[in-house]
Amino acid sequence: MRRDRRSNSQAPESDYTADIGIECHIQLKTASKLFCSCSNDSRQEDPNTTVCPVCLGLPGTLPVLNKRAVELAMQAGIALNARVAEHTKFDRKNYFYPDLPKGYQITQYDQPIIGAGEVAVPLENDSFSVRIVRAHMEEDAGKLVHPESADYSLVDLNRAGTPLLEIVSQPDMHSPAQAKAYARELYYRMLYVGASDVDLYHGNMRFDLNVSVRPSGSDRFGTRTEIKNMNSFRNVERAADYEIGRQIQLLENGQLVTQETRGWDEQKTYLMREKEEAEDYRYFPEPDIPPLELDRSKREQVEQELPPLLTHVRHTLRATGLEQTKIEALINQPRLAMLGLSVLEEITDPASRDRIVNWLTSEVVRLLRAEDFDWDDFALSVGQLGELSDMTADDELNSSAAKQVLGEMVTSPRSPRQIAEEKQLIQTSDAGEIESIVDQVIQNNPQAAQDVRDGKSKAIGFLTGEVMKASQGQTNPQIVKDLLEHKLNQ
Amino acid sequence: MTRISRDDITKLGHLARIGISEEVAGTLAPQLEGILDYVAQLQEVDTEAIEATNQVTGLRDVWREDEVIPSHYSRAELLANAPATQDGYIQVRRVL
Ligand SMILES: [Zn+2]
Repeated sequence: MRRDRRSNSQAPESDYTADIGIECHIQLKTASKLFCSCSNDSRQEDPNTTVCPVCLGLPGTLPVLNKRAVELAMQAGIALNARVAEHTKFDRKNYFYPDLPKGYQITQYDQPIIGAGEVAVPLENDSFSVRIVRAHMEEDAGKLVHPESADYSLVDLNRAGTPLLEIVSQPDMHSPAQAKAYARELYYRMLYVGASDVDLYHGNMRFDLNVSVRPSGSDRFGTRTEIKNMNSFRNVERAADYEIGRQIQLLENGQLVTQETRGWDEQKTYLMREKEEAEDYRYFPEPDIPPLELDRSKREQVEQELPPLLTHVRHTLRATGLEQTKIEALINQPRLAMLGLSVLEEITDPASRDRIVNWLTSEVVRLLRAEDFDWDDFALSVGQLGELSDMTADDELNSSAAKQVLGEMVTSPRSPRQIAEEKQLIQTSDAGEIESIVDQVIQNNPQAAQDVRDGKSKAIGFLTGEVMKASQGQTNPQIVKDLLEHKLNQ
Repeated sequence: MTRISRDDITKLGHLARIGISEEVAGTLAPQLEGILDYVAQLQEVDTEAIEATNQVTGLRDVWREDEVIPSHYSRAELLANAPATQDGYIQVRRVL
């Protein structure tokens, strides 16, 4: 079994195989809620101010489905390489909790909008496959606040009714690293397709893990536990690692794993409650929301509006022979990846293209990590990059000068020539001019010149430096060196 | 005939969040058994060739455009029926 080395378990891990499935909730990027016209964005709002009789579940109200939420769910399904259902409907899931005003959640039970799919997940220089079971739409619940030492809780229903898509995978991940890689893959697929803001900090994307272990070689799954509500890739990885270790330890001690729901407190998983059975929720078809027929014309319309999908971007970048780690570095920054695609489309000279892609995946990625960098200032364009590449190819700029210009261009739409001239970075490439400077330097430094003639190669560095100084750095050191050697060794 | 045990009653009471006394449980059990027996009769009908019906309105694709229209009720009005409020929150018995 492949596992993280930072394991908390002393047990012989190789004797066990872990099976991990992930249920991921994403908040769909709509302006209004799933079944009413209240605002979907209540991050800055006072409690219970983006609510109405519908999302408060007051008697006599009728929820009406948000069409955009359906379209976004369809787009998400396509991005997951999954089947979009032709017939889909909503169901009631009945349970009582103070954050659920109606006493039921409108969700989808047996006819989800998205059916089976399969996602290829890159991991280091390899990839693995995770099957998608389904993805269904549902409304979010409200938020509970538990004031310290009070004997009551407080309910804010601003979030109640927010549209969610729950994506359910098969237990196809077998290590914490794979679980993390899949979570990351979902994040970027949803980000590229634009179905969600995937703002992890604000809980736009939450992960529940199903974890079980079994003796290696056995084809019967072990008893699984569910770990609720991870909000980062790192926590997905750490919780999976902890839980696998805990379960192996139990089995090694001759104990059994209990089917239960557990929480994650950043250090360990802990028991929340024993697992409910589906029948406890008494699902039944939602009478207030008529079923949907997503016929071909609706599906085609949604497909036409699709932005470039992550899989397309990755495929296009891969076709250039770029190595996987560089591709993923670009993909981590969608605007950079889009720029990369434009470069591949518009720059036809292979050498220039390679040079630019290399800048993007190393220098530019580094610049974007700067603390004070703000995407609002991002100004880099294909036109600038093409011109900068040409200037480099023509030896007007040496590589370190090109990087200086690049650093400026990331947040400035000015042309590289303008920037280079201003910073006096352009190298003199006029052969006659360089030659006269070289002659002058040889004349002024007879001893060093003699040393070179005598084969003392160190002196050539000194002379090159003198030429660079005399030309105020605007010559190409390699050309100068070649010229000096040529003149002194004939 | 379906038997409803005291445990079944307790579980149903828990799911519905209502307390059920021994006395009420004694009358509920035969009533629920009667309902289940009635449903059992329906189950005997051969529905092999019949498509499942989830709703009877014949409506489909009822949806609205994604437009924000704030409620025209104030928070005070919307929370007027809450048993208790505090700073704009609904106050409930502590849950954790
Ligand atoms: Zn509302």
